[in-house]
Amino acid sequence: MKKVIAKENLCLNCRLCEVYCKTAHSKSKDPLRAYLNEPELQSRITVCGDNQKSVAVQCRHCDNPKCVEACITGAMQKDPVTGVVTCDAEKCIGCMTCLAVCPFGCIKIGETAVKCDLCQGEEEPACVKNCPNRALVYLEMGGKADA
Amino acid sequence: MRSYLIIGASAAGLSAAQELRAADPQGKITVLTAEEYLPYSRPSISYYLKSKVSEEDIYLRPAEFYSEKKIDVFTGARVTGLDPAAKTVTTADGRQFSYDKLCLATGSHPFVPPTEGVEGKENVVTFLDFASAKRLKEMASPEKHAVVIGAGLIGMKAAEGLVKLCKSVTVVELAESVLPSILDANSAVMVKEHLEENGISILLGNTVTRADSQGDTITSVELKNGEKLPCDLLVMAVGVRPETALAEKAGLRVERGITVDPETMQTSDPDIYAAGDCVTSVDMLDGSKKIIALWPNAVQQGKIAARQMAGKADRLTENFSVNAIDFFGLRICTCGLIHAAGDPYRELVRREGSVYKRLIVKENKLVGFVLINCIENAGIYTALIRSGTDLSTLQGDLMDMPTMLLYSEAERTSLLLGGEPA
Ligand SMILES: Cc1cc2nc3c(=O)[nH]c(=O)nc-3n(C[C@H](O)[C@H](O)[C@H](O)COP(=O)(O)OP(=O)(O)OC[C@H]3O[C@@H](n4cnc5c(N)ncnc54)[C@H](O)[C@@H]3O)c2cc1C
Repeated sequence: MKKVIAKENLCLNCRLCEVYCKTAHSKSKDPLRAYLNEPELQSRITVCGDNQKSVAVQCRHCDNPKCVEACITGAMQKDPVTGVVTCDAEKCIGCMTCLAVCPFGCIKIGETAVKCDLCQGEEEPACVKNCPNRALVYLEMGGKADA
Repeated sequence: MRSYLIIGASAAGLSAAQELRAADPQGKITVLTAEEYLPYSRPSISYYLKSKVSEEDIYLRPAEFYSEKKIDVFTGARVTGLDPAAKTVTTADGRQFSYDKLCLATGSHPFVPPTEGVEGKENVVTFLDFASAKRLKEMASPEKHAVVIGAGLIGMKAAEGLVKLCKSVTVVELAESVLPSILDANSAVMVKEHLEENGISILLGNTVTRADSQGDTITSVELKNGEKLPCDLLVMAVGVRPETALAEKAGLRVERGITVDPETMQTSDPDIYAAGDCVTSVDMLDGSKKIIALWPNAVQQGKIAARQMAGKADRLTENFSVNAIDFFGLRICTCGLIHAAGDPYRELVRREGSVYKRLIVKENKLVGFVLINCIENAGIYTALIRSGTDLSTLQGDLMDMPTMLLYSEAERTSLLLGGEPA
């Protein structure tokens, strides 16, 4: 399956990926309006570090996802066809057991678990599309897409 | 074609069935459950009680899942007999099923200590299954006083679910702290205060000694210290016990839980496996035998039992407790040996207001943590515990919010590219 790869040496710590991730998951789809009117929005990608050293981290959509295995409600699932790991907000109770087992720190805390969905339906995730330094690339990574 | 039979259709049973289908596309897979429902999320029953999760969303899989995967689930099928020589089981209503490989995923049952005046009353419930949650939801109403016996996970979740539905909720607990299975002493005090601020009365070091009734209905309970509480609804949540009756009757080895090989989940009968709350686990962090009554462990064990039943070589490589839970917005995440203290254990503690972090270290390896209101990225700590990483190889302050920057660049790149750490 295709995954987002972060090139650490090219990351500027500008955090535009975070801004565009929020925008892509906002109601308005506009960066300013999303910023002003939807304060609860969370970026599903996180730039860790500072201006010396930084790297953007987001869900790896693992072949054997720990979060899916640990989910106590059946909300977290890996799509058997696309391989994308998503959380069903109707089922999720926000217990954050997924966060407690994700080895990369890719689950954000909200009313329910919040995580990268690879901008399903889009050709390229918003973070990749809007990274000015091409530090994020969307590549075929192999890995089976079975659940 | 192999015939697989699973008893119990919850975390361990469903995981086993799903994994069996993945490992053996042709095999016959039958799942028997005493309950009237298809597999649902047991931990979600308190969210159903407080109407956060609907009946339709409590199920773990859509009903079509079972037909698509050719997994035959029989509800209302309580198994009462197991004959390991004939390789058959019988249900209470007289149906018989045979197997080549059997998995016991019978979980736990509530432990209800005999209490004067309680047995047979109509307003007493346990809180362990969907049926009991439905009953409790029907019984709860704004003029009622609810009393919950037991301040463990189940009792506190019942209390949380009831607090908006009843006039008062009082939890009575014999021990001196709340949630002993997931909290250390410091955090238990913080969590208790938070629960009280949110309307739950908690009486520690106390218990219900008897109940008074009018006809079949309890109206008040008397406590060990002589105090009397009005009570229109009594929830018994003292504890759970592994459900081992079938295994015992069939002559399998049982020590509290069903005895299994900790890596293969095989019982003392080579064709019978067991997984989940019904087995005695071995904690990989200190080698101790214990019942790890947590959902993710049941799922992992069910998966390995299934692989083994299908003749695959996979083994259980990790077994330790991880729990995340919230109560009224207070976020709790704990893992590993949270009660370990003294040599050879060392602890790092930070406490500021309602934020508490305690890391437990043994021989320069992380073996446990307790996080209250600072659970961000907790899974990175869990990964360090799982992999037994030497903490001296990490960069930065372990007490800060953990991130991938703890690892060296080479290690981090390899982890992020590989998709999964070793
Ligand atoms: C209110 C509540 C909240 C919880 N919260 C959490 C949480 O936040 N995190 C967490 O990790 N865990 C939590 N747990 C614990 C978790 O639910 C259990 O660890 C998990 O359900 C264990 O799964 P299991 O498959 O081993 O057994 P169980 O879920 O106990 O299922 C066993 C099944 O087998 C059936 N069965 C038993 N005997 C027979 C028989 N003879 N014939 C046919 N069927 C039989 C039972 O009816 C039952 O359906 C909670 C539990 C409760 C009750």
